[in-house]
Amino acid sequence: MDHFSLVCCETDIGGKAHRAIKDPVLLNDSRVLTNLLSTEDKYLPHTCYFNCVQTDIQPYMRKMVTEWMAEVCSEQRMEEEVFPLSVNYLDRFLCIRDIKRTRLQLLGAACMFLASKLKETTPISGEQLVMYTDNSITLEELTDMESQILHLLKWDLSAIVPNDFLDHVLHRMSYNKSILTAVKKQAQTFAALCATDSKFMMIPPSMIACAAIGTAFRNLNCESGTELMTLHAITGNDMDLIRGCVEQVEQTIRNCMSAYNQSQTPTKQDSHKQEQPTTPTDVREINIMAVDSVQKPVPVMY
Amino acid sequence: MQKYEKLEKIGEGTYGTVFKAKNRETLEIVALKRVRLDDDDEGVPSSALREICLLKELKHKNVVRLHDVVHSERKLTLVFEYCDQDLKKYFDACNGEIDPDVVKSFMCQLLRGIAFCHSNNVLHRDLKPQNLLINKNGELKLGDFGLARAFGFPVRFYSAEVVTLWYRPPDVLFGAKMYSTSIDMWSAGCIFAELANAGRPLFPGNDDDDQLKRIFKLLGTPTEETWPNMALLPNYRPFPMYHVSTTWQQVVPKLNSKGRDLLQKLLVCFPPNRLSAEDSLQHPYFSDVNPSMK
Repeated sequence: MDHFSLVCCETDIGGKAHRAIKDPVLLNDSRVLTNLLSTEDKYLPHTCYFNCVQTDIQPYMRKMVTEWMAEVCSEQRMEEEVFPLSVNYLDRFLCIRDIKRTRLQLLGAACMFLASKLKETTPISGEQLVMYTDNSITLEELTDMESQILHLLKWDLSAIVPNDFLDHVLHRMSYNKSILTAVKKQAQTFAALCATDSKFMMIPPSMIACAAIGTAFRNLNCESGTELMTLHAITGNDMDLIRGCVEQVEQTIRNCMSAYNQSQTPTKQDSHKQEQPTTPTDVREINIMAVDSVQKPVPVMY
Repeated sequence: MQKYEKLEKIGEGTYGTVFKAKNRETLEIVALKRVRLDDDDEGVPSSALREICLLKELKHKNVVRLHDVVHSERKLTLVFEYCDQDLKKYFDACNGEIDPDVVKSFMCQLLRGIAFCHSNNVLHRDLKPQNLLINKNGELKLGDFGLARAFGFPVRFYSAEVVTLWYRPPDVLFGAKMYSTSIDMWSAGCIFAELANAGRPLFPGNDDDDQLKRIFKLLGTPTEETWPNMALLPNYRPFPMYHVSTTWQQVVPKLNSKGRDLLQKLLVCFPPNRLSAEDSLQHPYFSDVNPSMK
């Protein structure tokens, strides 16, 4: 018996139906959302480290390593929070410690190692991660880096990511279920894309979630015009800021798409496409979705 | 580990040994929980990682405080605030008598701790007297989060083998795969009755079947009416139709009527109907609790 049938049978027993919705596990408990909103800032990277901390790392390197991380998470079908969490660790680490570009992939791998252990029933093994780096790192380096991250981040790994907000926010929007499901799926993809673009690095996760949802509504042509107001009412985020962030997300999608169109090699895809990975970060997938709204010809990929 | 001077071994935790120790600088007494790091190249074990990350977030006077983590090459040491005893030992030493005000105070603190965890997305999943720590000021704290998990959405499938049998709710005993905060509320009910009876456990079952029998004999066997879709649970099997034959007054003779009402609202077989921790704290049983005690 699943969770939802439990909830459904609630309504059969008349007067007691209100009990179930008070269960904090269900989305209706506002304390959980309130807590998420009040603690999210604590885990934000506190500086744009390229100018002040890092002497070697450039924004394009962050983009490369995060795209690689997204690919690993996607291919391993990791829980959707693993990717944004590991990017959060990476950014917070880079806010504190200067590293050489040759160590960046090692850092990215160790961040995924930690996020996977925290979130997954069967975490990814160190050996697999080493393999994903093409053996450019060793297991020992990986566990050493893990210790360094834990030390620098003071074990504060329960960071809040945009994905934590998606269900809470969508649950409070009154649309039919199929729209919400479609919006959620796209919003997940857009949020993941934001994690690879350093301009979103210091934007609070709830704002990214709002912008990803707003973009998805527009992209699916099902906006009623009141979405931003609703998003503001639910999260308390400023409406103009949400609007601005939606525009930035769309810009990022356009950039990503034109980069993709230039490098398009329509092979390789088909094999691992059928099954939707939990981490929806395949860049090609983003392109396909985004095309609806920003460019006319829809490339048929599969 | 020069910072701490080991005083004595306290016991074995879920993983690793627990010592009483003294901070050499501040002279503060602490509890050290030592986790050996295996040589299997996987770095910090995920269970330890989860406990540390969760407990770091949970700062509340009714949740045991994790002061520090000392991470060396071969081992990991968790530094906790020190509590003199756990509720189990308190029961053993109370000679069959606990003042009703103390019962109320402990129960209130237990619910505060649970409510705090739940509002922070954390299920304890293993509440029992051994995991409730008590210090000499009569403060009760939730401890041992080795099994705790942060719940995200959608709720994950947890293993059914989590709660110590005596404090395990009937839905989990029937193999329910989806459980939630209500799991901790059943345990809280069992502990409440045990407190009221000065340490006599309410349902000391020997195995799953015996555990369910004891529960149904007291509460009456649930029906499709009182527990919709019960028969669909993975390990459901029919039980004889026990009818309620004992009164709550007989079950917890020393508990007043308001307390009995609260207990009944926690010990509900159908999980969604169990009172939440937050609502329990609003119950009239606690209306005369000194706010400072809360």
